[in-house]
Amino acid sequence: MPYVISDPCMGSKDQACVDVCPVDCIYEAKGRLWIHPVECTECGACESVCPVQAIYYADAKGDNQDLSEAVEFFESVLPGRNEPIGSPKGAAKIGPLDSDHPRILQELAGAKT
Amino acid sequence: MSERRPEYDVAVIGAGPIGLYAAYYSGFRGLKTGLFDGLPQVGGQVATMYPDKLIHDVAGFPSIKGIDFVRNLSEQSKRHAHDLHLSDAVVGLETLSGAAYRLTTERGKTYVAKAIIVAAGLGKCTPRTLPALETVHSPNVMHFAPDLSVLNNQNVIVAGGGDSAVDWAVAASRIAKSVTIIHRRGRFRAHEASVQEMYQCGVRVIAPGEVTSYCAAGGKESLEVNVSSAGAEEIAFDKLIVALGFHSDLSVVESWGLGVDGFRIPVAANMETNLARVFAVGDVSEYPGKVRLIAVGFGEAAIAVNHAAAAISPRLSVMPAHSTNEEK
Repeated sequence: MPYVISDPCMGSKDQACVDVCPVDCIYEAKGRLWIHPVECTECGACESVCPVQAIYYADAKGDNQDLSEAVEFFESVLPGRNEPIGSPKGAAKIGPLDSDHPRILQELAGAKT
Repeated sequence: MSERRPEYDVAVIGAGPIGLYAAYYSGFRGLKTGLFDGLPQVGGQVATMYPDKLIHDVAGFPSIKGIDFVRNLSEQSKRHAHDLHLSDAVVGLETLSGAAYRLTTERGKTYVAKAIIVAAGLGKCTPRTLPALETVHSPNVMHFAPDLSVLNNQNVIVAGGGDSAVDWAVAASRIAKSVTIIHRRGRFRAHEASVQEMYQCGVRVIAPGEVTSYCAAGGKESLEVNVSSAGAEEIAFDKLIVALGFHSDLSVVESWGLGVDGFRIPVAANMETNLARVFAVGDVSEYPGKVRLIAVGFGEAAIAVNHAAAAISPRLSVMPAHSTNEEK
């Protein structure tokens, strides 16, 4: 099972994790960052550099909302996009996304009003 | 194609913990062994990503620091002589007639081996660079300074914000004419003590700062840097060390015909890939029930080497003699 990012990333998006990820599997979206659950090699380099402790190892057992949302983020069609992100094998290849998981977009909209 | 006598019984690709142990084990079985890695040092992920962390889950060591663990493995690997080829990644693997394989390295050297053990971890490690330097080929732009004396009395720029960047800046400050470190964020992700030392040893710190372009004119090289508070500034350098970490990928392995599935090489229970006498062990290999741990990787290395031994020599059985039978 991979490492996952949780909501404390919102408002930080520090990206130290992006700098240290050896396989470039941390993708930047509108509200926060997402670790690709398939591309992640579980090296753990990101966990220790996160300034807001948003990154942790997702246990395979039991429901994990952060992990299921990460899967949705990459496998479903995000608002304003035509196709799923899928597995680009490198965040630098696609750059920052102007969209995000619907729940994060809702929270961003909520924060503005 | 001209045939060549194999230099090696076993070529181990990747000198991380599992590759080092495979090299030891191959020597223990009396096989002539070559060990290859693209990085300038052994130890793979442990040496590059967590040299100072304590590892607690390796059998026989209640806890051991990453760098000490690598040092021990390196010492163990030398118990039986083998050739160590560093800073020269294996990029090609071809099948030759006569039950041998030819390896081609990044520097264009070729080697012939009877069996191959791929212990490539996350794949080939490439140093990251800055977007402004992507097309720059200058001998003064480096990712490592294998010999610190090249920085003697030089104007040095270090780019990066992690441990290696900070360590380079501190080391350079003792011998260089000037040292500037440029990090694109305000916060360094290095040991607190090293960061403090950097601030105290005369290093000019630009953080956050963004390198926007590289210029070379009249034999002088410089970077244009966007300094957060002060706007654009041109900073000349004699030596630039780009210490932004590494990116790993398996793309070179994909062309070797090993049936790479996404990020892994599928293997059978004896760690053999779809090519005879080519084995894959450690993080790079995949089989049902795989658990990616150093502890498991050591077992995989022993399985692969013992099967390689039996496959290349009719005299050798899969089951080895006990290592305790060795004299010293």
